[in-house]
Amino acid sequence: MKRRTALLAVPALFAGGCFAPSGGDGGADAADRLRVALSFPPVAALSPYTDDALLLTRVGAAETLVTFDASGAAEPQLAESWEFTDDRTALLELRDGVVFHDGTPMDAEAVAGSLNAAAAADPGVRVLRDVGLVATAVDDDTVQVQAAQADPLLVQRLGAPSLVVLSPAAYADPAAPDPVGHGTGPYAITAVQGTQSATLDAADAYWGGPPAADGLDVRFVDDADARTSALRAGELDVVQGVPIAALPTLTDEQRVVTTSLPRVTALQLNTASGVFADPALRAAAVAAVDPGAVVDGVFEGQADTAPGLLTDDTLGSAARTAPVLPAAGDPAGAGIRLATYDDRPELPEAAAVLAEQLRAAGFTVEVVVQTYATLEPDLLAGAFDAVLGSRLTLLDTGDPVGYFGTDWTCEGGYNLARLCDPAVDAAVATAAGLTDPRERRQAAADIEAQVLSTGAVVPVLHEQSRTGVAAGVQGVGDDPFERQVVTVATSPGR
Amino acid sequence: MTATVVRRAAEVLGAVVGTALLVGALPWLSGTDPARAVLRAREEEGAPDAAALQAVRDTLDLPADPVTGTLGFLGRLATGDLGTSWVSRTPVADTVLPALGISLTLAGTASVVALLLAGLLTVPALLRAADGRLRGGGPGAALGGALSALPEFVLAVLLVAVVAVGWGLLPTSGFTGPEHLVLPVLALALPAAGVLARLLAGAVAATAGESWVRTWRAAGVARRTTAAALGRRAVGVVVPQVLLLLVGTLGAAAVVEAVFDVPGLGGVALSAALAQDVPVVQAAVVLLVAIGLLVGGGGVLAHRLLLGPALATSGFTPETARAGRRPQRVAVAVAGVLAVAVVAGLLRDPSAQDVGRRLAPPSWALPLGADPLGRDVLARFGHGALLSVGLAAVLAAVALGVGLAVGLLGRGGRSGPADVLNALPAVVVGIVVAAVAGPGLLAACVAVALVGWIPLAVHTRTLAAQARASGFHVAAVAGGAGRWHVLRRHLLPVVGPPVVRHALVRVPHASLALAGLSFLGLGAGAESPEWGRALAETTGYLERAPWVVAAPVTGLVLLGVVAALADPAPGR
Repeated sequence: MKRRTALLAVPALFAGGCFAPSGGDGGADAADRLRVALSFPPVAALSPYTDDALLLTRVGAAETLVTFDASGAAEPQLAESWEFTDDRTALLELRDGVVFHDGTPMDAEAVAGSLNAAAAADPGVRVLRDVGLVATAVDDDTVQVQAAQADPLLVQRLGAPSLVVLSPAAYADPAAPDPVGHGTGPYAITAVQGTQSATLDAADAYWGGPPAADGLDVRFVDDADARTSALRAGELDVVQGVPIAALPTLTDEQRVVTTSLPRVTALQLNTASGVFADPALRAAAVAAVDPGAVVDGVFEGQADTAPGLLTDDTLGSAARTAPVLPAAGDPAGAGIRLATYDDRPELPEAAAVLAEQLRAAGFTVEVVVQTYATLEPDLLAGAFDAVLGSRLTLLDTGDPVGYFGTDWTCEGGYNLARLCDPAVDAAVATAAGLTDPRERRQAAADIEAQVLSTGAVVPVLHEQSRTGVAAGVQGVGDDPFERQVVTVATSPGR
Repeated sequence: MTATVVRRAAEVLGAVVGTALLVGALPWLSGTDPARAVLRAREEEGAPDAAALQAVRDTLDLPADPVTGTLGFLGRLATGDLGTSWVSRTPVADTVLPALGISLTLAGTASVVALLLAGLLTVPALLRAADGRLRGGGPGAALGGALSALPEFVLAVLLVAVVAVGWGLLPTSGFTGPEHLVLPVLALALPAAGVLARLLAGAVAATAGESWVRTWRAAGVARRTTAAALGRRAVGVVVPQVLLLLVGTLGAAAVVEAVFDVPGLGGVALSAALAQDVPVVQAAVVLLVAIGLLVGGGGVLAHRLLLGPALATSGFTPETARAGRRPQRVAVAVAGVLAVAVVAGLLRDPSAQDVGRRLAPPSWALPLGADPLGRDVLARFGHGALLSVGLAAVLAAVALGVGLAVGLLGRGGRSGPADVLNALPAVVVGIVVAAVAGPGLLAACVAVALVGWIPLAVHTRTLAAQARASGFHVAAVAGGAGRWHVLRRHLLPVVGPPVVRHALVRVPHASLALAGLSFLGLGAGAESPEWGRALAETTGYLERAPWVVAAPVTGLVLLGVVAALADPAPGR
């Protein structure tokens, strides 16, 4: 009988087993706390020198010196104003009355220390690569930032999430600053439970006034359907990235806040080798693609048809020139391989629709779908004739010229079309030196026309972000850079 | 005794070093620059240019070759240090150990629940066998076959939609308390219970034919006592399978973990393997392999304990099953329905797109509705059937051949390599195979075949241990019969039929396992109508357009029922 008893003990053993640590429910005032799900788990214990920086700004746990308007121009945040003293130096006047979550006042020393730590980080922070940034405190609330060479984007760089300003206490380990309790935003992180969740409390001394919620219970949930299900079941109030396929399942109890993003989904054609090395066949492919079927069919209207690579918001008043394509050739059944990745759920379906359109135009198409991590080496090596991908056109600095530099020049680090056109390279180099924002945008519009005229890319659509919220929730951020989701004004409305 | 212990320890050590080396060689095998993968894991956008990669390489202090790296890892392991993650720069132990605890809880509960469910399904068959009225595997076999064909991830999505969102009974996701355990355990345990129920039914049917059952009945032994004795014999056969399931689920439940947002070891291993975070994968794999070997040894022990002294004293009298030559009528009828649907689909066009009828519900023009691209679901069902069923059948046959060979020819009660392979996360096997064989359907088949034979080999080994302890086997060996003669005349006829049935039940599994590797570029092509692929692509539409998911799931379930009831006669 002993043996049988032992067997019966097995289930009891497991039921009392290991669970993930819980963030607690906040006690009696839980009604005024917001339950939030962000779309990816921290990759490096919330170190701002990785993508985790976005998690910090999305929950209002840390802030940068400047932020961006819809066109990508710098706006005051922790810095109230700034001026260039020469082409590589800027003076920033800090906002008064800003206090870190640990009670230390934010002075020029703290800000300069924070920036210098980021400049010294190893591996380097993307936005400061080759900049040689040095920050010095001029007086209590003035900071001087200086680049090694002339840098028209010097102030814009300070808006990158990796340059959030943290209290001096955060830099005990300079390689991985600890943002817990060291930021400046409306909410202070009090605890982080591994890569599963974090608990934040309202920072009553916040410079922008008292936050609308008492605190946040944040979960990091990778799976978009899991996030949406939790919203529908009433377990969450704010959920990032509701998939298009799940929109019709939402009821009156939930709604979706939609924002147009500077993110282009485009079909890039391999100009260096294979079928599309021939400009005439590239022109044939450009002519064959009808983005409307993808926007209305696959994206169910939850995207904007792309007039070009850049969005109208980015270009502002700059005028687009119509691209001039070479005469289209006859594909005559030429075989192409079209690659895409399934990390964004709509891309494989969009690829299937585009493949069908190319087949109708006379190409023979094989579609390859893999997860991005295993596909990237082949993408960068130019192993495919065409790549359907999704790409931010305004990255860290809110400036479109950088995107053309990485994606469309001979030496570009992410040039999937393998385009190497001396005219484009020269135009990008010239545009990078312009200081007037309006001139930069016009130059970007001109480069876009140049790139499109090579037939190396077919812009398909511009994506939108979809934040799902419970019916009562008010004041969710609609930031086109997806940096602010929960703001000082976001209230649970319960 | 000491020699056995030393040999066993050497085996374990060899397995740990071997798998650590295999994982350490992942970047070299797949030709991926770990610096690029690590950079990409840390920042999603941005260009991986030469300067950025060099900076990562300098900080990572990457080993020059896999052997150096692995030796370093093993040296640290010996001092109890699991190392530091390349991606997060935090200690690996902080990530892997809590995840292992959560996975042990989940997989352990799922295994126990699967065994209990399978037991419940078998009770009617046990009672009938005690009365001497059992014919074939009974209804438990058919139900088991149907359950075993249910794809775990479809079940998971369905449970969330109905139980958590629809009825609001349980939380949708997370893993902070026992209430979070119910749905993931059901998603994992129901298909597993199907397989176990089919095995139990087969074991009960085989045991019911032994002479002692007749003797007990004639002697007026209580029905309950006979049923209990029969049940104990049957459970002895499936306990090693339950332990395989437990270990196999630990590192391989990534998909179910993702649906329920459970921070288990499967998800950790998956993301680390994709990001080439070698220290994390090495730690995870070494832990899994050690647990696999430990529990695998436990399986042999448990079998012995349950069977008691009978195993050592030639107390068994297993008899070859007198299976009918004709498959059951139900199986023929179900196969007929399946065939009609497939033929109807084959006559239609599976690739014509029309986004205007995206997710159109079933109608006269589209009897099974349309998929997200407006393609005819019935046509895709029919065209996908040949590929899905054909491939799965071939893979099951390969697994059967290898499993029988390994299980019968292997010496002693151990099967070290099987326990090691079973413990490896599917993504690691997939990446290694893709690296060696290149992406494609063949590589996926290799990867699935590489692990598919394990349960069959363990099943064979368990049954062979019983057969070897039987009077007729001992008599044949004592009479000087040759090894091959004994194998062919005395072992295969007893062991063969149940293992063939087991292989049949796993046919739908093979199809799903193929689809599970498609994100690595392994398996049927992107636009292929293969059932597993279709399910992997459309499960997100389950609530909006159930018909898109229903067609392949029904196909797999019907296939499972046919396989469970087919009961082919063994070759004599």
